[in-house]
Amino acid sequence: MVWGAWICLLSPLVAAGLITLGGTRLSRHATGYVATLSCFVAFGGALAAFIGLLGRDGSQRQLVSTAWWWVTGGSYRSGLEVMIDPLSVFMMLIVSGVGALIVGYSIGYMDGDREERRYFAYMSLFVFSMLLLVQGGNLLLLLAGWGMVGLSSYLLIGFWHDRPSAIAAAKKAFVMNAVGDATMVLAFFLLIKKGNSLEFGILGGQYSSAVANLVALGLLGGAIAKSAQLPLQTWLPDAMEGPTPVSALIHAATMVTAGVYLIVRTHAIFEQAPKVADLAAGLGAATLLLAGLIALVQVDIKRVIAYSTMSQIGYMFLGAGLGSYANGMFHLMTHAFFKALLFMAAGIVIHALAAEQDMRKMGGLRALMPRTYWAFLIGALALVGIPPFAGFFSKDSILAAAMDHGAYGYVLWVVGLAGTFLTGLYTFRMLFLVFWGEPSAFVREHFHALRRDVVGVSMASTVGVLAVLSAVGGWLQFAPLWHPVETWLQTVAEPVVSPTSWQEAVSSALAFALGLGGIAVAWLVYGARRVAVPRFAFAQRTLEQKFYFDEAYQALFYAPAVFLARFLRRGVEQPLIADTGRDLADDTRDLGGLVARAQTGLLRTYALAIASSVAVLAVVFVAVK
Amino acid sequence: MIGPGVAWYLAVAGFLFGTGSLGVLLRRNPLIVLLSLEIMLNGANLALIGFARNLGDGSGQIFALAVMAVAASEVVVGLGLIVALNRKRVTLDVDRLNTLRG
Repeated sequence: MVWGAWICLLSPLVAAGLITLGGTRLSRHATGYVATLSCFVAFGGALAAFIGLLGRDGSQRQLVSTAWWWVTGGSYRSGLEVMIDPLSVFMMLIVSGVGALIVGYSIGYMDGDREERRYFAYMSLFVFSMLLLVQGGNLLLLLAGWGMVGLSSYLLIGFWHDRPSAIAAAKKAFVMNAVGDATMVLAFFLLIKKGNSLEFGILGGQYSSAVANLVALGLLGGAIAKSAQLPLQTWLPDAMEGPTPVSALIHAATMVTAGVYLIVRTHAIFEQAPKVADLAAGLGAATLLLAGLIALVQVDIKRVIAYSTMSQIGYMFLGAGLGSYANGMFHLMTHAFFKALLFMAAGIVIHALAAEQDMRKMGGLRALMPRTYWAFLIGALALVGIPPFAGFFSKDSILAAAMDHGAYGYVLWVVGLAGTFLTGLYTFRMLFLVFWGEPSAFVREHFHALRRDVVGVSMASTVGVLAVLSAVGGWLQFAPLWHPVETWLQTVAEPVVSPTSWQEAVSSALAFALGLGGIAVAWLVYGARRVAVPRFAFAQRTLEQKFYFDEAYQALFYAPAVFLARFLRRGVEQPLIADTGRDLADDTRDLGGLVARAQTGLLRTYALAIASSVAVLAVVFVAVK
Repeated sequence: MIGPGVAWYLAVAGFLFGTGSLGVLLRRNPLIVLLSLEIMLNGANLALIGFARNLGDGSGQIFALAVMAVAASEVVVGLGLIVALNRKRVTLDVDRLNTLRG
């Protein structure tokens, strides 16, 4: 019930405080255990809330608990409150569950790092922020969580702060997210002006189409920045500078999917602004295609998975934008499982190869680490959407939903199907490059197996649990036959589209076939090496430069800003501010020199001054009297 | 009322005050300067007492007593400074103590 939600929210915060205040009094390993334990406690709290809601009727499944009124101004007020309803409990279970597994994995992965305590404090802070985001009972608290996950993400991307590239990536992520935060805040201002409230209920009110469109656009801006969708996607690949568990937790399983959560949570306003909802779906489709293409040429194992994350979130945006909320959320859940699994398995590979991430130096790891290979294979199959693994059940329903959205929907449907082919291709390209073939010279030289102490156990057990979840997690919902997720979320977000079963069947069959096709092509080129890697110089260069987004932003925003700053410094600051200040200082000093002459240091001068002043005063006094 | 009127008292007080201030302004020995300062204070005291008597009010006299107490403390500090200066073999001449010149 509600107390479960409070426990869930506060236990990671307590852990973060404990680790921070404990300092060196807590041993390095102890901080890892404290953080992991707090996440498991949070998961327990989320389970309690879930069970509490299960026992209630569908219409009664919304509980708000207000600690106190946090912000009041005039007739406006917002409480510090948590809300549990089917959607927030759904997110709480994913965040705390996957979070606990990944924080536990970090005990092994971060073993021997110089600043483990700081790492675990940040991780706990992140889990708290993410839980605040999904549990916040009003938009203001959602925004607070939204900003705090941005902060924790910034801190964790830049965790290895002696690497200039990590610092640059952290700043980039923060700035890109700040753009989205700003548009969200503008939307909130508009809501306060029109409705004088930031409760979730305010979104269902009646607004003129201009207001609804503006609010929805503002919210969409926040969502695409946080979820790394076009055109604010460039920060996510760079964010791979952080430790691998951070990439898994923040940049795959939870934070980057917050945009999908936001759209589903505020679906009422998107339903009033169908054009913006279509835009969200269109951006998702464009992102899934572009990211899939870029992933084909990446050589860094983590970057391939990062682009795949962008691509999969594109599917979620597609689903959420079309109004197929439950399917978007369901894909969010299965994606959290299999993408965390892929990152964790990649983390074991990186760990085993002395922190090497370049796939060109890998190869033949299947014989050396068979269990990791199987786990990675399960994650890859789930990602491509091969039954019976998780991705099949969630991704295909989104594609089916696209067919129920008119001509525009069919365009998106085709793009989504093309995306499944690309997914098969880039995922298995990675798998074949890393695990198949003969061990390369680099691997033979640097490979060292996972230790069998707590380091190895914590990493291997997490990967095992996630592999099982990726394998069976999708069975929770099979759209044509049973759909508990949809029923569960129905009271929060009623789906707008309802694909028929032939649409489901066609989408599933085509997606399955195209995914297999992608795998087959990857096998021909990278697995069996029967076909040479095709070379198209222009296409390759374009993809390696990520469609020149970074260069375009450099030219469009960075260069003019630098130019303007230089101009202002030379044209305005130097003559107006700096020179004025210097003149002022010179004049003051000259004046001071004049006044200083009166200060002779001779007692009698002062005494005479006093005496004559008194005499003058006395005369004036008498004269005036 | 027996004795001279208040104007006489004020005239003497003014004379004392003038004498004292001239001493402060013109003399160079700090001891004499201090002494002249005391004369100025006494002039002021005499004016206070004269007014108190004229008005038949005791508070002026009380005030004069307070001024004497303050003057006594001030002399202690002043003489202490002069002794300290002398110990350091500084010439006792106020015109040469001008290190605070701006």
